[in-house]
Amino acid sequence: MEHRPLAQTVLVYVAAIVLAVAILMPFVWLVIMSISSAPDLSSLPLHWLPTTFDFSRYVKLLTIAEHSAGEAFLSSLRNSLEVSGMAVIGALVLGIPAAWAVSRHREVGWSIYIAIGSYMLPAVALAVPLYKGLHALGLLNNVVGLAGVYLTILAPFTAWLLKSGFDGVPREIESAAMIDGARLDQILRRLTLPLAAPAVTTAALFALMVGWDEFFYALLFTSDDRAKTLTVAIADLAGGRITDYGLIATAGVLASLPPVIIGVVLQRALVAGLTQGGVKG
Amino acid sequence: MSDLVISGLTKAYGHTEILKGIDLELQHGEFLVLLGPSGCGKSTLLNCIAGLLEPSAGDIRIGGRSVIGVHPKDRDIAMVFQSYALYPNLDVERNIGFGLEMRRVPKAERAAAIARVAETLQITALLKRRPAQLSGGQRQRVAIGRALVRNPAIFLFDEPLSNLDAKLRAEMRVELKRLHDLLGATIVYVTHDQIEAMTLASRIAVMREGRIEQLAQPETIYRDPANLYVAGFVGSPAMNILPATLSVENGQPVARLAGTSAVVAIGGSAAVQPAGRQVALGARPESIRLAVPGEPFAVAAAVELVELTGPEKLVVAKLGGQTITARLDPNSRVTGGETRQFVFDPQALRLFDPATGVAIVSGAS
Amino acid sequence: MESRWTTLRAWLLLAPLLAVIVLIIGWPLVNTVIFSFTDAGLVGTGGNFVGFANFAKALHSSAFSSTFINTAIFALVSVAAEMVLGVLAALLLDQQFRGRTALRALMILPWALPTIVNATLWRLIYNPQYGALDALLTQLHIIPAYQSWLGEPGTAMVAIIVADVWKNFPLVALIGLAALQTVPHDIKSASIVDGAGALSRFRFVLFPYMAGPLMVALVLRTIEAFKVFDIIWVMTRGGPADTTRTLSILIYQEAFSFGRAGSGASMALIVTLIITVLAAGYIAAIRRNTLSA
Repeated sequence: MEHRPLAQTVLVYVAAIVLAVAILMPFVWLVIMSISSAPDLSSLPLHWLPTTFDFSRYVKLLTIAEHSAGEAFLSSLRNSLEVSGMAVIGALVLGIPAAWAVSRHREVGWSIYIAIGSYMLPAVALAVPLYKGLHALGLLNNVVGLAGVYLTILAPFTAWLLKSGFDGVPREIESAAMIDGARLDQILRRLTLPLAAPAVTTAALFALMVGWDEFFYALLFTSDDRAKTLTVAIADLAGGRITDYGLIATAGVLASLPPVIIGVVLQRALVAGLTQGGVKG
Repeated sequence: MSDLVISGLTKAYGHTEILKGIDLELQHGEFLVLLGPSGCGKSTLLNCIAGLLEPSAGDIRIGGRSVIGVHPKDRDIAMVFQSYALYPNLDVERNIGFGLEMRRVPKAERAAAIARVAETLQITALLKRRPAQLSGGQRQRVAIGRALVRNPAIFLFDEPLSNLDAKLRAEMRVELKRLHDLLGATIVYVTHDQIEAMTLASRIAVMREGRIEQLAQPETIYRDPANLYVAGFVGSPAMNILPATLSVENGQPVARLAGTSAVVAIGGSAAVQPAGRQVALGARPESIRLAVPGEPFAVAAAVELVELTGPEKLVVAKLGGQTITARLDPNSRVTGGETRQFVFDPQALRLFDPATGVAIVSGAS
Repeated sequence: MESRWTTLRAWLLLAPLLAVIVLIIGWPLVNTVIFSFTDAGLVGTGGNFVGFANFAKALHSSAFSSTFINTAIFALVSVAAEMVLGVLAALLLDQQFRGRTALRALMILPWALPTIVNATLWRLIYNPQYGALDALLTQLHIIPAYQSWLGEPGTAMVAIIVADVWKNFPLVALIGLAALQTVPHDIKSASIVDGAGALSRFRFVLFPYMAGPLMVALVLRTIEAFKVFDIIWVMTRGGPADTTRTLSILIYQEAFSFGRAGSGASMALIVTLIITVLAAGYIAAIRRNTLSA
């Protein structure tokens, strides 16, 4: 039916507003907390809108001064970038050839299931041996060590998403190039990857989000500024005896910016990648 | 009382007018085909009749009562879609009976109705299968069955044969005609295929850009098209259109073909026109034949191409700068490159006003 | 182009990835299995072989079974809520209304928010002295005084579930919406002409197309729920009185707080087995029920 009964239209708009409020309110509150002054946040009854705006926490977290919260925050930000960045690059380096191989050669397809099977393991199952192993290699509290562990989390499903992407590039193009005399690496670099670029970008950004989000291994394997990531730093703030909740909220807002921006930009591609991978089994 | 009456129907989306004023009446048992190219509004019109779209203005009456604002399920119509639109997770039996199920028809009655319809369509063996297990033709039958079982006042078909291959399409066409003859159903059928229209319809509505160009029986549409558009749309190869000037020679009305000294005799009602008038002369390929030597009003044309299709020979020739196609007997001796004499059947010629495209009939100017 | 050479080449391309997985997952896994049969501590190497003692102790301990129940409740309730809310939201987002595009874009936000930030945010909201939830409820006169949501055994788990569902149902909604977009227009029209009401349309037209992707989401979310650690750790550390302690937290405590690595390893393996069986069961059910194309 093209037109809708009035009652149904009203219901739809009411539901839409309820949904929008439900989604937005916690966020909005987080932002408000980050710019509310401490007295506003600790007054009863609670001030929903700050009477005085306080942007000092943003300044505090983003300036480097010896032994300040800002120093801890910025170094954890740096660490998160390094660890996630390295892990994503590693995942792509390992995943692209593997995904291509599985996409083009059905007979090795079952190997992907080994990778996917690792998903069943709770992180705690591997924590102790990994801890001991990293300790033995001197890679505890080290961004490279942590990145190596993240690699195993990111690489399997990155390869899965990449495989879907490569599936979308017709084999005939590669066959034609092969007949024209191109080597495999040339074909990959000049043809397949450029054509699969959207899928590769989506996979990379998705992996970045997952790496950025990781907490457990970071908690276990890092202990100070040299490697502590953003997630651990925020958990520290939240669990500590800090009375300025606005500071915690500010850290949260800042830590959320990269994945939220990626999420909004990539929304359509991300969901398409997830459903496609799922439906294909 | 007519089964379907449409008056002054318009449909616009914002500033775009899809339907610009449709009027038609359908009697019981008629098979009306809405014929036209993509974008002419035929599917929009069908959807308005079904109630899937609401018109901007105008009235639609089914069985004497207005159905504007009435939900599709209460309009006493059933619809067959181009993509069949079968419910993929239900078996054929449940697919067919779905409309009855939604109307809470008792199970026994439903089963009986479904069995009858399956028998008519010869799909009884398929009742327990799922759509994914059926071929295109079988799915189409199930879609038709779903409509049949509801026994509606009007059946609506939206290009139901477009998704089938040529051979299957021809078979299903015969099947649809048989069903129509058997059931005497009232049908509105949308298609862009003029062969379907010509073979199935009791009346054809040729549509263009939201308007009905001509509403008439197939023979009338073919023999007396209302304008150049209809003349060109129906009939393949298309009607030859040649610019000419009317004149009289020795008491015989003739048309002087532009760009040549050729003159053809014209007969019938077209004769009553002022001499000197410019016209567009319409001649269907089958109305052109090779001249017997010495025949009057023969015209010379340079043969460019000869195509033997089996049952006939199509000859493409150049005549005074215009290209004509003639439909000849397959045994005719014609070859490309030679110039031959052709004769136009005077009674089959049709005249059109070159400016408006409208057919010129006796008495009218 | 199938030949022995190309297959070999395929394996070579796969080798680096598989090598890394074997190294960083396989080898520790083997170690964990070995540990599980010993009484090894966290520091130092090895321990004495104790056979299945760890497994037996774990399966008989009330801590393990009560923790399993906590985890099962968490998984069941949160996943069910995410599915239901996600489907409802998807159906809503499929309707026509102004601002629909903006609302669809907004939906990605909770999922994009890092888990830790989400957990911290809700912890602040639930704060018993200054939290927004208490403020809202008392200002609306729904409750008489500020409650400690995370501090009371009765409410802590529910509070955590709310935080988890809020974060995850939008993703289910987006997956469901993507599935709804694949429903052919003609089938919707046919069902309208057939007289199907909204509920019937959902049952016979919309849901069959949503079922596939949603089942996948169900499996993934359930596995995640059984593995859950981060959100619980930040919000309650497993308290109060171990009422929100889930299996991962229990194992963490066993291996790292009490230093009983061998025992922790055995628990981890039991949990892995449970998850694998669950996942296998789900996948089998999916294969049986999926719409054939």
